[in-house]
Amino acid sequence: MAGAAPSILTWALPQGQSVEFPGEDGMILRSFRFVDLEAPVEYFNTWLTPVPHFFVRNHMHEPSELDPHDWRLSLGGEVEKPITLSLAELSKIETHSVVNTLECAGNGRSLHRPQVPGIQWGKGAVGTARFSGPRLRDILQRAGVKSTGKHVMFRGLDEVPGKVPPFIRSIPIEKAFDADTLIATHMNGSPLPKHHGFPARALVPGWIGAASCKWLTEIKVLEAEFVGNFMSPGYRLPNQPVQPGDAVKPEDTHALTALNVKSVIAGPTDGSSLSAGEVPVHGAAWAGEADITKVEVSTDAGATWNPAKLGHDQAHYAWRLWSYDWRVGKSGDYTILSRATDSQGRTQPSTPLWNPSGYLCNAVDQVKIHVS
Amino acid sequence: MEVCSDVEEQGFSAASSARERAGFGHTGRSFYPGTSAAIALFALALASPLWALAQRSAGSSVTADLPAGPMQAKATTACLECHEARIILQQRLSKSAWTKEVDKMTKWGAVVDPTDRDALIDYLSTNFSPEKPAYEPQRTSGSGKTSK
Repeated sequence: MAGAAPSILTWALPQGQSVEFPGEDGMILRSFRFVDLEAPVEYFNTWLTPVPHFFVRNHMHEPSELDPHDWRLSLGGEVEKPITLSLAELSKIETHSVVNTLECAGNGRSLHRPQVPGIQWGKGAVGTARFSGPRLRDILQRAGVKSTGKHVMFRGLDEVPGKVPPFIRSIPIEKAFDADTLIATHMNGSPLPKHHGFPARALVPGWIGAASCKWLTEIKVLEAEFVGNFMSPGYRLPNQPVQPGDAVKPEDTHALTALNVKSVIAGPTDGSSLSAGEVPVHGAAWAGEADITKVEVSTDAGATWNPAKLGHDQAHYAWRLWSYDWRVGKSGDYTILSRATDSQGRTQPSTPLWNPSGYLCNAVDQVKIHVS
Repeated sequence: MEVCSDVEEQGFSAASSARERAGFGHTGRSFYPGTSAAIALFALALASPLWALAQRSAGSSVTADLPAGPMQAKATTACLECHEARIILQQRLSKSAWTKEVDKMTKWGAVVDPTDRDALIDYLSTNFSPEKPAYEPQRTSGSGKTSK
């Protein structure tokens, strides 16, 4: 019975005690089984996120057994010559690296009102890493994609509980042939850790995290978008804004692709008490396939805005760190806001755009602090 | 309890060095509690001071529990075979939203007797309604790091 052990453990555990999780340091435990870990926003102070601070999103069980010597990646469907690659064969293909900000589509879900079902992510289901591995297009070209091939499907080795539909998704052929779309085998210079898809994952830069299928084992070229739960009704947005309770027809929705423009304040942290003087306000901003052009900071709840300084490190699909040197001389309660704008002219809205699954929350970020 | 029982107690084959580096030798399915672990922990609870049990449990498998109530046992059977309680504890949903969730999960294999459906929805929507205070998640401690 699943309930026998938990009652003892719950009784024994003092409230707030940390849970040992090898290799995952100080993360917010959204779920232990399946593993879902969120980074506290104060970790967003390095351009590359160390792996122990990189969020983990699993829809189901991780593969319980995975021997890299036995692992194979197959490519079939609408191709001239189906192929199967071992990890050794994959490692012989030219490697490319992409620094990419990976964000769960549901990041910020807990900020929606009324609340919607799903992992109640705060602001930390996002991280930036250097992903490396062969380009997907090199493998597709090796197999020869037929003219009928319009979408590319990924299947991972996630272990499916009960009758839950398998985690299978697809991307359009144009994105699959993008020079920066990878079969990633490395993350920040080391082989992918288990929680991040060892031995290989798709890396679809600038897109929602769910596009970058982990523990990849099958690629299939399709004539049309894959039909399955995680393409529809999962990971779709209504074409028009909806109100809670509105019925939304499947044909009035579209599959999520690229991420929104967004910024997060990493410090000072919400609820903190500080001394008057220099108070550095800092954080990260990203925009999917677009570039961050500016970040503005308000220290008076949005009455006035000030330009933040963008960090030196940058890459097309990666977040920019930003900072604003705030000098505060008067004690009191302050509301600090951050607002990013991107190269497509998009700016963060003042409030989350509510949708039934709580996707792509990108409202202006806010922290409240006390200065004494 | 046929749902998911095949993925609860799997062990590992001999770990290769690459798999060890990826973390498969440390944090796989055997990380989760099974019946034998529950029995061992119960024995430990009888034999050890509370602090010792807390130390031990913090260093191994830690799961949460659903709140007491007339449907606790049946909710545990129906829901926690496939995922742990924290996924439920963090939700704050209306009754209509819980109804959709229960029906979806039943379709996906949760074992819910039709005569228990309404009571299960009541249990969930009473304990995890929008009016309840926000759930406070725990943090992980990363001792025994296995990755960079």
